[in-house]
Amino acid sequence: MAGGVARGLLLAGKVPAGNILASAPSDRNLGAFRESGCRTTHCNLEVLQDSTLVFLATKPHVLPGVLQEIRPAVCPHHIIVSLAAGVTLQTLQRLLPAGTKVLRLMPNLPCVVQAGAMVFSRGDGAGEQEASLLKSLLSSCGLCEEVPESYINIHTGLSGSGVAYVYLFAEALAEGAVKMGMPGPLASRIAAQTLLGAAKMMLETGEHPAKLRGDVCTPGGTTIHALHQLEKGALRATVMSAVEAATNRACDMGKD
Amino acid sequence: MSVGFIGAGQLAFALARGFTAAGILAAHKITASSPDTDLPTVSGLRKVGVNFTVSNKDTVKSSDVLFLAVKPPIIPFILDEIGPDIEDRHIVVSCAAGVTISSIEKKLSTFCPTPKVIRCMTNTPVIVREGATVYATGTHADVEDGKLLEQLMASVGFCTEVEEDLIDAVTGLSGSGPAYAFTALDALADGGVKMGLPRRLAVRLGAQALLGAAKMLLESEQHPGQLKDNVCSPGGATIHALHFLESGGFRSLLINAVEASCVRTRELQHLADQEKISPAAIKKTLLDKVKLESPSLSVASASKVSLFTSKNPSSKKN
Repeated sequence: MAGGVARGLLLAGKVPAGNILASAPSDRNLGAFRESGCRTTHCNLEVLQDSTLVFLATKPHVLPGVLQEIRPAVCPHHIIVSLAAGVTLQTLQRLLPAGTKVLRLMPNLPCVVQAGAMVFSRGDGAGEQEASLLKSLLSSCGLCEEVPESYINIHTGLSGSGVAYVYLFAEALAEGAVKMGMPGPLASRIAAQTLLGAAKMMLETGEHPAKLRGDVCTPGGTTIHALHQLEKGALRATVMSAVEAATNRACDMGKD
Repeated sequence: MSVGFIGAGQLAFALARGFTAAGILAAHKITASSPDTDLPTVSGLRKVGVNFTVSNKDTVKSSDVLFLAVKPPIIPFILDEIGPDIEDRHIVVSCAAGVTISSIEKKLSTFCPTPKVIRCMTNTPVIVREGATVYATGTHADVEDGKLLEQLMASVGFCTEVEEDLIDAVTGLSGSGPAYAFTALDALADGGVKMGLPRRLAVRLGAQALLGAAKMLLESEQHPGQLKDNVCSPGGATIHALHFLESGGFRSLLINAVEASCVRTRELQHLADQEKISPAAIKKTLLDKVKLESPSLSVASASKVSLFTSKNPSSKKN
């Protein structure tokens, strides 16, 4: 995830590679950073000393330990952005010096190809300026919106996990085509392009998806017959339940 | 202009009520006939001020626009009976589901060379002037004839011309539609009662909710999906309820219903064309009464009635 954000910033030319420093205990993931020209280290404190904007991109259970470690080096000028799922602003603020500018970011996987959907919310110490900075930087990775913290778990259910729902749907589309006689790889590429194209139309026309759907359905034609099958399978309700389940799970995990 | 109804049942009553309430036609310009005087709608029609008679021929004679408002299996008997009295001035409007223009024209052409036939599909809310009507004009019906019917039907709701091959779908959607709505309203009221509302209030509120929603949609440029979204505040009551509807396959049930009604209409038409409707489908008393009026008809066999052939096309009853 950190890699995705970094790549987005670099590709958009927002930050020169030399100004990005990434730290990790092992070299496993640092190779990719070095290849793009970023600097790397094994020392977390060095990142704090060297940077203004600091992304915390560790696994959630590791984060408290890391916060303890870096706390002495955190200063008023720092902007700390946590990507750790389920770790609340309250927890972050508790483990960092009072008044630290803290923000919480929830990205999704396609950030790595600059087509991400991200939401962030501000802690008490972070103001308009920090929010605008983050938004303008991260827009290079996709859609980035500020939200109340309560929306973050919903974003997980909708878009964080949502990416997986789309993969499932794409797989099923392709399988349908294979059943009807199309080779798999071709079907897969067409499925992906179909999803991409439909999404692009939604974003660019701003029209309601129900209207866009209606536009595709000629009377008595193929599409309406297919949609009837989808409705019979209660696809809508199932998808709603999926978003609900993921959101609830995110809430539960956050309580742990 | 005078209007006649062959048949004095729900449809005739609804249309007569609608036309008179709309002021487009005076009651005394309307005639309705039926051999069955016991129908509850007969007294209703009389109350409206419509001329009621037991003679279909009288209705034909006193009308310019003649609605065939009987059930589909009865249509062929009616056409045989009144065929001899149809003149060039008559516009014959069939409201019977599944009965094609060509089948009516074929029957009438044995009596009248160029019968003006219009096929229409309407629905019961014409009674409160919120009907949904479509019509298709037959071979010899002119544009003016269609426009005349359109004017009449527009006085009791929405009316538009369509190609005949769409009429079965219209039957499935707006012909049967009020029944779907009544079912929904009954259930919505049950929901209200379950949650503590008195029945009358629940029915009143449910009906008003559907009426209001329909009106909003008709007056809005927006897609119903958008209008739905406008009601669903995040995490609120409505979206929770909608999830239940979706889980139950609400949408697909409605699609199924429209499809089933349309398919059944076509099936019935097909059966009629193949002359496969048994006389058991027709009330014996009615059949007897019709036979009394038209001695030329005969039941061809014990099990099957030949619907679209007539033994003695030129016989006239006096």
